[in-house]
Amino acid sequence: MSKVVEISPTTRHEGHSKLVLKVNDEGIIERGDWLSITPVRGVEKLAIGKTMDQVPKIASRVCGICPIAHTLAGIEAMEGSIRCEIPEDAKLLRVILQAANRLHSIALHNILILPDFYIPGTETKINPFTPEEPVRSVAKRIQRIREIGQTIGEIAGGEAVHPSNPRVGGMYKACSERAVYKMYDLAKEGLTLAHQQMEFMLAVLNNMKKRDWTDVAGKQIPLPKTLGYHDLGYMASHPMYASSNLDEIPGWDPDRWTDVRPWDWYMGEVEVSLADPSYPIGGTSPVGTKANPQMEACTGVPLYDGAPVEVGPRARLATYKNFTEKGTWAQHVARQLEYTDCCYTMINALDAYNPSGKVLADCIPQGDGSMGWAANEAPRGCDVHLAKVKDGRVLWYEMLVPTTWNFPTCSRALTGAPWQVAELIVRGYDPCVSCATHMIVVDEDKRIVAQKLIQ
Amino acid sequence: MGTELGVYKTCVSARSTSKEILKKAQDGGIVTQLFAYALDEGIIDGAIVAGPGPEPWRPMPMVALTSEELMASRGTRYNLSPNVALIKEVTRSYGLDKVGIVGTPCQMQAVRKGQLYPAGLRDVPDKIALAIGIFCMENFPYQSIKQLVEDHAGMALPAVKKMEIGKGKFWVYGERGQVVTLPLKVTHKYEQPGCHVCLDYVANLADVSTGSVGSPDGWSTVFVRSKKGDDIWSKAMAAGCFETKPIEQVKPGLELVSKLANEKISKNQKTVESRATFGVNKALRNPYVSPK
Ligand code: SF4
Repeated sequence: MSKVVEISPTTRHEGHSKLVLKVNDEGIIERGDWLSITPVRGVEKLAIGKTMDQVPKIASRVCGICPIAHTLAGIEAMEGSIRCEIPEDAKLLRVILQAANRLHSIALHNILILPDFYIPGTETKINPFTPEEPVRSVAKRIQRIREIGQTIGEIAGGEAVHPSNPRVGGMYKACSERAVYKMYDLAKEGLTLAHQQMEFMLAVLNNMKKRDWTDVAGKQIPLPKTLGYHDLGYMASHPMYASSNLDEIPGWDPDRWTDVRPWDWYMGEVEVSLADPSYPIGGTSPVGTKANPQMEACTGVPLYDGAPVEVGPRARLATYKNFTEKGTWAQHVARQLEYTDCCYTMINALDAYNPSGKVLADCIPQGDGSMGWAANEAPRGCDVHLAKVKDGRVLWYEMLVPTTWNFPTCSRALTGAPWQVAELIVRGYDPCVSCATHMIVVDEDKRIVAQKLIQ
Repeated sequence: MGTELGVYKTCVSARSTSKEILKKAQDGGIVTQLFAYALDEGIIDGAIVAGPGPEPWRPMPMVALTSEELMASRGTRYNLSPNVALIKEVTRSYGLDKVGIVGTPCQMQAVRKGQLYPAGLRDVPDKIALAIGIFCMENFPYQSIKQLVEDHAGMALPAVKKMEIGKGKFWVYGERGQVVTLPLKVTHKYEQPGCHVCLDYVANLADVSTGSVGSPDGWSTVFVRSKKGDDIWSKAMAAGCFETKPIEQVKPGLELVSKLANEKISKNQKTVESRATFGVNKALRNPYVSPK
């Protein structure tokens, strides 16, 4: 007889989500639903009628960890719609901003996942906040990497959180020569630290891969070798930066995308029949709690070629570098492998950048309502924004953000794992639930009051 | 009152030892000289100054990275230069780590407030390396200056060499040698209204503040205020950047500075107070008190 257990809220990721899990007598997940319960902000609907300059700045506020992705995808979708080509030096500044943000984001995610892992060769889990070595030096290194990412982002992008420099048509400000040297020095320092941090994380991950169990609340929970496996596909538009409809060979295809509603994909009403008050910290939902993922999920379900896909570092490496490993550990490994790429990307872009170059297009068309899209490879995966701009105003706007793509995929990947490690699988995706929550309007009873809005 | 001159460690009458700087300086060339020294020594790596603007005698905030750029910003422009508008950008696309900024007393207040309450000013507070304040009795919008010079003084703005407010008059010096003075009474209605609630004359919150009042022509009165200011000033003195005289030995000296400061503060304090009863049972806002 299968039972239902619910972990709500989930922790150590951005935003507000929960896990509703049907498990067998051994506690192995038969079917799991991971869903956003972050209140919907409805950015896409409120964008309609606003100016093309304003909307990406609003979209940025969807998320403070990866605002770069939403700013750039939003702006480039507008540029895609109005058919505006930006100058090369503006593009280089955007690439630097992008890589700087990814560097900081990977490091931040290290902090979030490390408590799940062991110091190699020991039975001690890693507490990033401990003043003791060897963890203390690692934590300091992570913070310095983040500081470097944020500082470079701030210089190239005007602001580390919600970048002010990007605008439709390019950038507001060119970076001075001094600023270029400063970024270069920081990127070089970052490269060394990123190498060290990557090696450390890979050692931690390899150690975890060899383990048969992990400790959750004093119990030994077996770790399946296939943790987090799914047989769905993956999707990526570019190894580092982005693709848009202005590209000669676009890395994404809007015709392959469809959207379904959560009730086509998630479980209907269930009642919690298994509870574990010892689950850290504060226990799972009490027996008798009603859950209804179909109705509670605050996201749409985007499909590519009619099925959910995985996006993120592993998807990028699989698409562009023949990376073949699967599952939770592989996702983590792929993410660490992107560390040094970020620094090399910045260094190369800084080499190519000309401080006296132009950063704003001479002509910024106001748009005729044509559809444009931009797929930005956010830290967590492909962030697609689509827009129609006419006379400088947004007629239609759609955001398909990484964690929205990953919600249904990750839900399927839960199958076969002990429920106590479901959160480990979730964290493999580095979820950003605020990002994923932007569409359906629900009332206090969690009933959808505006389903027609979902196109 | 006794607090009208703010907190300071030393006060002297001074001028730069550089003939080049003095050539076009308004008074003793203090701001240009101190920034030039700080730039050379790496104490700052750039300074926000009032550079030349798109129209004659309209200042435009700019970031000076060299002494040559500092030179271009010499001279008082009696209209608004929103220098603080660059305070964040210098730490961004300009890539500065140690920022110098010059400004009026109200601009020094903005800098200090930004350092203590950095609303939207991430990474700015720790990058202010030297804030130089200039004395300020009141300021004018550009249109006011245009009208004063072109209509009242009857001169073309581009042909003006220097403007000065001193000895109770508004002085306009033409390139061709002519000098026109206007009684200050004429200028009052052109003042920017926001200056009428200003309670700071000698840039109390700057590291170093300077102005013409109190010292003879070609010299400046200098208050060295903060630890940072003291440190930089002493080094610049040791490097021979300035000629100084004890303020007690110059005429008219601190007495006049105090007198004018007190006049400004008491006049404006009255304006601040009158705002409380501006309407019938209704007040205008007072930025110096927290809202009820
Ligand atoms: S009088 Fe006060 S408010 Fe007006 S410009 Fe001078 S310092 Fe600023």
